[in-house]
Amino acid sequence: MITPEIRLDEVSKFYGEVLGVNRVTLRIPPGITSLVGPNGSGKTTLMNLITGLVHPDRGTIEVRGISPRNPEQLMRFTGYATQYDAAPRGATGYEFVSAGLLLYGCSSEEARRMAWKALERVSLTDAANRKVAAYSKGMRQRVRLAQAIAHDPEVLVLDEPLNGLDPLVRAETIALFREFANRGRHVVLSSHVLQEVDVISDQVILIANGMIIAEGQIRGVRDEMHEHPSQFLIRCRDASRIASILFEMDHVTEIKLHEDRLGMLVWTRSRQEFSRALTRIAGNGSPIDSVMAADENVDALYEYLIGGGR
Amino acid sequence: MINNSFRLRQVWMIARLQLRRVFFARRSLWVYLLAFFPAIIFIGHGIEVKIKRERWGGHAVTTPAKLDSVREGDTEEEVIAKAGTPITDQRFRRRDEEEPERRYMRYYDGTRQVNLWFRSGLLVQKSTSNLIDFEEDRQVYAGVFQYFYLRLAIFFGCLGIFMNLFRGEMMDKTLHFWMLTPVRREVLLAGKYLAGLIAAVVIFTGGALFCFAAMLWPQETAEVQAFWRDGGASHAFWYAAAAALASLGYGSVFLAAGLLVRNPIIPAAVLLLWEGINGFLPAVLQKLSVLYYVQSLCPVPAPMDSDTPALARMLLAPAEPAPAATAVLGLLAVTALVLWFASRAVTRLEINYSTD
Repeated sequence: MITPEIRLDEVSKFYGEVLGVNRVTLRIPPGITSLVGPNGSGKTTLMNLITGLVHPDRGTIEVRGISPRNPEQLMRFTGYATQYDAAPRGATGYEFVSAGLLLYGCSSEEARRMAWKALERVSLTDAANRKVAAYSKGMRQRVRLAQAIAHDPEVLVLDEPLNGLDPLVRAETIALFREFANRGRHVVLSSHVLQEVDVISDQVILIANGMIIAEGQIRGVRDEMHEHPSQFLIRCRDASRIASILFEMDHVTEIKLHEDRLGMLVWTRSRQEFSRALTRIAGNGSPIDSVMAADENVDALYEYLIGGGR
Repeated sequence: MINNSFRLRQVWMIARLQLRRVFFARRSLWVYLLAFFPAIIFIGHGIEVKIKRERWGGHAVTTPAKLDSVREGDTEEEVIAKAGTPITDQRFRRRDEEEPERRYMRYYDGTRQVNLWFRSGLLVQKSTSNLIDFEEDRQVYAGVFQYFYLRLAIFFGCLGIFMNLFRGEMMDKTLHFWMLTPVRREVLLAGKYLAGLIAAVVIFTGGALFCFAAMLWPQETAEVQAFWRDGGASHAFWYAAAAALASLGYGSVFLAAGLLVRNPIIPAAVLLLWEGINGFLPAVLQKLSVLYYVQSLCPVPAPMDSDTPALARMLLAPAEPAPAATAVLGLLAVTALVLWFASRAVTRLEINYSTD
């Protein structure tokens, strides 16, 4: 019986002397799984390994019982929207999607119908007959997604799929992933934006320096995040005084004053308490020009997880 | 259902999808130039002959018998009395010599031009040449085909076409598109090779035949008819076959090279050298060459001037030709062997654009 799992056992991949991933062992069940890690952490390598674009130096991989070395079988039920921006020269969006379908054995009529359906699902029918080279970044992202879902795959692998999408299309795309997952399919996606992971995933795999550092249900990662100090950048006229007030509070762990004395970087263990404190300070007549979260990027979480907490 | 017939359909589908790129890629422009450059030369030669024929034919054409009656030692007046008014008549005197005036006359009999040089009023030199020499043009074509077309045009043209099938897509960062389709890597290789082969055969066989037609175009009709009666079609066929088989052989080599190396200059230089020294390699090694087989198929041996330098003579001299059947089978065997190596390489191929 074929296991509906993506399995990686002791998988290592090196590019010459550069580490891609090292001794990765994973079991990825159906549902939405997010590979989260900073740039260069090995997310794309892992996805390329799963889809057979690169081969492991050590270890074995199976996608629903099929080796990625067998693309003839694997790609029948797998779709991969890569990060690679280029499309075959001169191809229109429609041609880009339908060309691949012909190789699945679809008739021209079937390929046409399925390609239009996929383009419709990513809201790209209006631009379907324009050349991909003339597309915006977001449109290219969508046409790659259309190509990946056109044959209605069981396993959908998506490298940074929400990059460059406007909020409306982003919401539609997330709904599309959810629909796939609800039908018992695999959706494996990568991201370096923590917010995306929070909203989309059934499980998260955290990867850094080619190694898996945490995996599990989203709740587990959220718990870690609650403990993780958040950073905020504050711009204000009386930075020294505000810093001294904030430093008295238990949830504030560290403050760095800006050189111009008109701002500071604050580490806090509680976003809510920090938010309440700022409201109080502003209410007491200390004007605050702006507050900006400085660690929405996942890098900060890694630093925290790898470093064992601050 | 996946079976061999489905895979064959995939091969054809890949070739079809790839053909537009192969034929119309901007980087293929120079391939067309290489393929059709000899034809341009022959067309130029043909136009010159046609213009001369028309211009000289507009004058009174002198009969061959009258021209044959002209002898060295005849006076200017005697020549004009025998042959009539020449189509060209020029007088000149060299400034540095105290010599009498010289005169040059040209007559045309519809086929030959007769050039007459006079000094002191006497005919001192008479030379006759055909306006166009079919035999000579066929020799020139044989030389152009074997020295330029096979050794350079098809060689570098196939380098451009077949190296780009994988390496070019790697550089354009589009190769993953093919590798994410449900296609065996060997099928992908076959599809791309087929696309390259169709393009190379159309371009180079077309170029060779076009050039052949350009060579025949200004020839005398009677000579051309006689040529076709005496096996001219067979000559055209073997030139076309040699061009097609050269594309087949060089195509496989450069397809494999595109999978194995990043820089096309290295395999091109090595292969060019190997093909160049083929003529004086041991017999067994001669057979591991594309040129050896395709030169054996050429219907007219390539001419070699007696004053050709020894080194060039050594490099250009073909090996002892093989019988046609052996040549075709040998080339197919070499191609199959190279493609088998390429099929091993393509299964190990990885997408790693950052290093390309």
